[in-house]
Amino acid sequence: MKHCLLKREFESRIRDHSIQLRFLFITVLSIFCTAVFAQIPVAGKVTSGDSVLTNVTVQVKGTGVATQTNSAGEYSINAAGTGTLVFSSVGFNTLEVKINNQSSINVQLQSNNVQLTDVVVVGYSTQKKATVTGAVSSISSKDLVTTPSGTTSGALVGKVQGITTRSPDSRPGRGVNIQIRNMGNPLFVIDGVPYTGGSTGVTGFGFNQGSGQDVFNTLGLEDIESITILKDASASIYGLRAANGVVLVTTKKGKKGEQPKIQASGYWGFQNFTRYPKPPSAYTHQLATVEAAQNAGQDPSSVLTKAELEKWRLGTDSGYQSYDYFKLVTRPNVPQKYISASATGGTNRSTYYVSLSHLDQDAILKDFSYQRTNVQINLNTQLANRLQLGTQVSLRRERNFNIGVPGLDDYFNPFLSIFSMWPTEAPYANNNPKYINNTHNVNVNPATYTKDITGWIEELWHTMDFKMNLQYDFPFGLQAKATINYNYQNEDFDGMEYTYPAYIYNKSTGNYEDRAVGSTIPYGNQNPWREKHKRNVISRYAQFTLNYSKQLGDHNIAAVAGYERSDYENSYFVVHTIPSNNYIPLMSFSEQDILQDQWAIEARAGYIGRLNYNYKQKYLLELLGRYDGSYLYEPDHRWGFFSGASAGWRISEEKWFNKVRLINDLKLRVSYGETGSEAGINAFDYLPGYTYPNGSSVLDGVYVIGAGPRGIPVTNLSWVLNRTMNVGVDIALMNNKITGQFDVFERRRTGVPFGKYDVLLPSEVGYGLPNENLNKDATRGIEGIVNYNNKFGAVDFTASVNASYARNWSIYEYKQRFGNSYNEYRTSNQKRLAGVTGTGNNNAFGYTVIGRFTSQEQIDKYPVNIDGQGNRTMLPGDFIYKDYNGDNIINDLDRTAIGYQRGQNPFLSFGSTVTAGYKGISLTVVFAGGALQSFENGVESKILFQNNGTSPHYFFEDRWHRADPYDPNSEWIPGKYPAIRRGNTHINYQLSDFWLTNITYVRVRNIELGYQIPKNIIARFGMSALRIYANATNLFTIDNMKKFELDPEITSSGGLVYPQQKLITFGFNVSF
Amino acid sequence: MKRVYYIGFVFVFSLSLFSCKKDWLQRQPKNILTDEQVWNDPKQLTGLIANYYNRLPTDMGLDGNWRNMADYDDAMWSGESNNEGRNNIPNYPGNRWEYWDYGFIRDINLSIEKINELGTSLTAAQKKPFLAELRFMRAWIYFELVRRMGGVPIVTSQLIYDYSGDASSLRKPRAKESEVYDFVASELDAIKDDLTNGVTINGGVITAVSVTRANKFIAMALKSRAMLYAGSIAKYNSLRAVPITTPGGEVGIPANMANTYYQKALDAAKEVINSPWYQLKSGVGPVAGATAYYEATTKKSANKEFVFIKDYLTAKDKRHTFTYDNIVRGVREDNLSSSQVTPSVSLVEAFEYTDGSPGTLRTRNAGNTDYIYYDKPEDIFAGKDYRLNGSIIYPNSVFKGSTIEIQAGVKVWNATTSTYTNVEGAIGTVYTDGKTLVGSSGPHRSNQDVTNTGFALRKFIEEGSLTSTRGVRSDNPWIWIRLSEVLLNAAEAAFELGQIPDALNYVNRVRERAGFGPNSLNAGTLTLARLQNERRVELCFEDHRVWDLKRWRIADQVWNGQANNPIAMVGALYMYRVVRPGDPARDGKYVFDKLDKAPRIISPRWFQERNYYTFIPQSVLDNNPLIVRNPFQ
Repeated sequence: MKHCLLKREFESRIRDHSIQLRFLFITVLSIFCTAVFAQIPVAGKVTSGDSVLTNVTVQVKGTGVATQTNSAGEYSINAAGTGTLVFSSVGFNTLEVKINNQSSINVQLQSNNVQLTDVVVVGYSTQKKATVTGAVSSISSKDLVTTPSGTTSGALVGKVQGITTRSPDSRPGRGVNIQIRNMGNPLFVIDGVPYTGGSTGVTGFGFNQGSGQDVFNTLGLEDIESITILKDASASIYGLRAANGVVLVTTKKGKKGEQPKIQASGYWGFQNFTRYPKPPSAYTHQLATVEAAQNAGQDPSSVLTKAELEKWRLGTDSGYQSYDYFKLVTRPNVPQKYISASATGGTNRSTYYVSLSHLDQDAILKDFSYQRTNVQINLNTQLANRLQLGTQVSLRRERNFNIGVPGLDDYFNPFLSIFSMWPTEAPYANNNPKYINNTHNVNVNPATYTKDITGWIEELWHTMDFKMNLQYDFPFGLQAKATINYNYQNEDFDGMEYTYPAYIYNKSTGNYEDRAVGSTIPYGNQNPWREKHKRNVISRYAQFTLNYSKQLGDHNIAAVAGYERSDYENSYFVVHTIPSNNYIPLMSFSEQDILQDQWAIEARAGYIGRLNYNYKQKYLLELLGRYDGSYLYEPDHRWGFFSGASAGWRISEEKWFNKVRLINDLKLRVSYGETGSEAGINAFDYLPGYTYPNGSSVLDGVYVIGAGPRGIPVTNLSWVLNRTMNVGVDIALMNNKITGQFDVFERRRTGVPFGKYDVLLPSEVGYGLPNENLNKDATRGIEGIVNYNNKFGAVDFTASVNASYARNWSIYEYKQRFGNSYNEYRTSNQKRLAGVTGTGNNNAFGYTVIGRFTSQEQIDKYPVNIDGQGNRTMLPGDFIYKDYNGDNIINDLDRTAIGYQRGQNPFLSFGSTVTAGYKGISLTVVFAGGALQSFENGVESKILFQNNGTSPHYFFEDRWHRADPYDPNSEWIPGKYPAIRRGNTHINYQLSDFWLTNITYVRVRNIELGYQIPKNIIARFGMSALRIYANATNLFTIDNMKKFELDPEITSSGGLVYPQQKLITFGFNVSF
Repeated sequence: MKRVYYIGFVFVFSLSLFSCKKDWLQRQPKNILTDEQVWNDPKQLTGLIANYYNRLPTDMGLDGNWRNMADYDDAMWSGESNNEGRNNIPNYPGNRWEYWDYGFIRDINLSIEKINELGTSLTAAQKKPFLAELRFMRAWIYFELVRRMGGVPIVTSQLIYDYSGDASSLRKPRAKESEVYDFVASELDAIKDDLTNGVTINGGVITAVSVTRANKFIAMALKSRAMLYAGSIAKYNSLRAVPITTPGGEVGIPANMANTYYQKALDAAKEVINSPWYQLKSGVGPVAGATAYYEATTKKSANKEFVFIKDYLTAKDKRHTFTYDNIVRGVREDNLSSSQVTPSVSLVEAFEYTDGSPGTLRTRNAGNTDYIYYDKPEDIFAGKDYRLNGSIIYPNSVFKGSTIEIQAGVKVWNATTSTYTNVEGAIGTVYTDGKTLVGSSGPHRSNQDVTNTGFALRKFIEEGSLTSTRGVRSDNPWIWIRLSEVLLNAAEAAFELGQIPDALNYVNRVRERAGFGPNSLNAGTLTLARLQNERRVELCFEDHRVWDLKRWRIADQVWNGQANNPIAMVGALYMYRVVRPGDPARDGKYVFDKLDKAPRIISPRWFQERNYYTFIPQSVLDNNPLIVRNPFQ
């Protein structure tokens, strides 16, 4: 019954929607046919000094009618004879000229040299950079494409202040973790439409789930005009989801009257891992097993005799070869290709930007690949004098192809192979490539990692994003705009894993045996697997805004008011079968054993308001507010009002400031804003009832789906309130050769969800109190960027340095209770920096290594009981931990804070871009780095023989060991790592500052050398510009993780992830 | 005029965007049932019951904590290295076996109240069996609580906090340990005849009983177990030099209560034993006898030995990976996991020989001057209790139609030194003489997913094709209660009450099925130790051992943390083929090394006095000052 109702509602929703769309299209079509006003043509030329100015925007004042000057500086536009033309261009003062029925108007523009007429995209409108009062960073197209990144987030690394990044897993298609001021996942707004929705994480198979971050990451890089980062109160206009800052993306649009311009660009390159730990040789591995036995007090000869070990050392006898599974799993110089083409231009009524791009990236693992195709169509039409229609369509096809390795994430097993395989065993039986060797763990034998043997997984995303907006400009400065966005993302996952045989070569008979003697069960994999997933993500968004701007003498007023709402529905469906053969991929009901149906929804709505005022562009003021609602909360706690204010003072505009020659521009900014964030709550937590399905039982042979009581409804919880304060200064010095922007900020959160445990609710009641808005914390930091540009003769030189520091600080934790002072030291967050203390996973409490034992006598005499067993398990080379409390025993009480957050973005991020140009030759170098973050060694990168495999070579080479592994009394030879032991139970492997690295790194993110081919050469081929370049990404890194052969940005403690790529590309950009 | 149209158009366009839903933020969930839907529909009520049955706790089970099987003296961990810590438990922490699931009790209390209050369209007769089932599960949980924590607060109705800021009125002190056992007994007595969801009644006569939903026999079986626990705690705690007690009786039961409890245990057990529904499965001869025992513990069909089980069903994706994780290496069908929980040599030796001799394996000759040379690997186990072969795989056991090859290596005779040299190697390899070096099922000293002890599990390992693959998995049930346990409960209770003939009758029924002749124990040979050993072997891996040792108050002696204690230190049995050309009496024969300490084992098991009662969680103490701590806490 219930189901029926839901279904009906769902269908009617679809029906409503399609009716709306139909209505819309008919209306739009009829409008297209309406007659238009007749106007006179005006033409002319724009110059500055002796040179003509191209790409100057010429606009009929008060309308959307505009064009641009061509390469000769000429323009032509239709306008009413009584109108006014506005000429504007970056770097020049805007000029207004009355037409007075003239048909030819030539103008001269004055350079303002400072790029303050730059327009910056802010929430729900644009603003001149000069009048912006918020903390805003922006980055333009040309700076983005310097990094040939597969994802948008990867292209941002190191380039602007205020963002921190970390790349824990860089497999093809995977983006970088981006945070603004370390506040958490930001909101992504693309062409005015916020994209959130769902989890920003990945599925067990390592694939994206269709979140806003995924939409952002998979944009066509060449399609982006600019990215703006809103970091303070300026983000407040986005209300509840803007607490962690906002990333605004604007895609390229055509310009009115612009000549058609066709551009193409592309690159080809090859990738290699920046770093990955290497396995040991067979002899090193065997020696380690012998030492491990000796160190454990066993007879090493029972593991391997001396004579056998010698054979491994020589490696000459058959069966004693060494196999390098790093080389057998990965391949060098793997191609990455990108090609894009776009056409842009405009008539005097319409503009267009159409592009097509394709990225093709193979993985370092054989047969794994990733492709993405993007289409972007941005159209804008002046339907009538004051009525504009904009349409945008983005299409994307994304394909991940993996080898179908048993287990969930297919990327994991190959990495596991490198350390799970023994270098002593061959991938093929008797080295005969027809027979897969049944190694000690054939599941990770890389000989099986081909599509034909183990199977395949193909994941396809098809997405469509449709935007339409209609805008009417009233003659008195009011603009009404309605926008609709419909985003549809579809994921099709299709995978099949085969059964395959494996063999053991019997030397005495010469046979390849496929099963054990007497066994009916063959070696290899007898576990076939077939699975399909379908994920549909539908995000809907609608917005209505009124924009007003007016200049009254020296008073400039602008205002925005609006309403918007959005929802997001993510449905996911899994079907699994156990196929009876390896040949037929079609699924059959008789073989099906799993069906899963999952669903998630989000819905939000908000009212928006903003007011800007400035006097002579000198005293600036902005007020904004938002009344916002979320589906997460119980109706009485659903809506919240968030407001913000910011002010600016352009000191350099004051008359008295003219005396200060050195400073060309100086602006002080102050802001305060509120936002809400949804935290500590899940969908429908406010509802009582019973979750279904939840658990199950087989009762009398019948499977019964369970229903589970939901617990106490959460009805007292509402928004977390964030208050962001920001003080900043913008400055330009020395004839604008140096510009800078500096900000100090704090985001204070109050009402962070927490249970009221001072009400001593007996545990026997059976439930805890639901979270309420109780705690307080703050993220504080400082950031800045300095740009320098100058000309030295024919050499253009620019340099830019930026850095951001931001940390979370817990201000108040609701009425804490501690059993004792150590407990408080260990778990309290009160007035503490996040990630150092507390009970969370990030706290880094460990032992402090103050030395190493050098001899057995020293161990015997040592007064402190290190291992809790009277030091009987200690050997020379083992760690001596500091006994902080002096009780002569090392235990939990001797742990202290030894690092920063693990697995998180660094507290300190910095970057730098340096460019130099000389007669068409250009050199760009981008640096990026981070500090104040921690990495903890674990599993494969700490525990020896993890998973019954081997370990990175350095653990076995540079270790404390006896001169003769067979003689327990031979002398100890020191090394960097402790004496070899199996397993993780020895005290050496507890968390200590030996196993925790506080990472600092700087990497040369990019070096690009380009050459602009002279016009006289390319003109013959009909080109207007051609540039070729060579680019190197992640060429080298200076850091403190080299000792483990790990990339400094990974977070996986074992290191078994896809590190960043060292990518060398060769590319071109051509315009016609 | 046109302008009005345009403005109108923008207006209409905008309106169309926002007109499709009345309250945009009020969304309907797709996975929540309301009170009304649940409490008036027996189908949804059964769904609720299904959720609760699925939540009954155990220290082992087949789908959750089964790895704990490797934490005691019956087995060790031979699996993946992440669980290596199970071989190095220097002592059991104070919070081991912690359980304080009052959330579950609240859910049940809430159900009992709501079914009465909101189930308006159900008749009292429809409600009654559900109410009884809910109270059965609540009794089960209280039994779990008391055997782990000692006396706990008895909460039988929802405790509702009024958000006044003061919840002190909701505080309840711990009941006495005996009071909780009494509560379990009285609840089970009160509802046993109302448990009709678990029986089929035809014309007022029971014609079939369920083994998955509670019925009166399951209730009585649980009661017999609980009363036996209470009786033995009363008796043996008081016999300790220093009994473990608290002044308020939260821990410890007075000795004078023992007999009452034993009598209740015996009476309850008899209700089950004397019912027509349950029957031991037996077979004639060692092979059929072992198979019968294996099937009695692992097979669902034609099995009248189950009293209460947690069932699984592969066809409905209700299944577990126990077979995949624990099947002996040589016949695994998947290529990753196997042989993770591996039985210890002390468990194997606990199985007696059916001729009545002790189970100690005969590896050395009488003078301990040389090995005993066996022609075939299985010969050393010949004559053992059938249940050994039914529960455990040893060298040359037949399983799934294959002979399981378990051989650690060869012993090569060195004539000059007159000693053997062990040669070991990779599993499934061949010695230079072309014959097996190391068996395809191990054992191996350091490899994982292959036995380290020389034994593997047969009990609970399904035989069906592909059931050891990750794709298919298995659906054999977890045993909550089996007839033999009830028989052994009865035997022990009768023994303690001095009713020796009764005790012999019950215990010998269990032993006869295992291959011992009739009356294998008699009044002269029946001791508590024999009963204790009988429970160890009959009920191995069924989550009894730790609780039994606790209630007998011998856990701290059996698992005393001493490296030279062959029970506390998990040992192994490594079999070698002898290579001694020129000595036909010995060459090619099989010898056995008993390793006191299995290679991957680091610490002996050490159960301390504090472990008899798990520490009360600190948060529980913090939240309710009336809760007293357990001894040694």
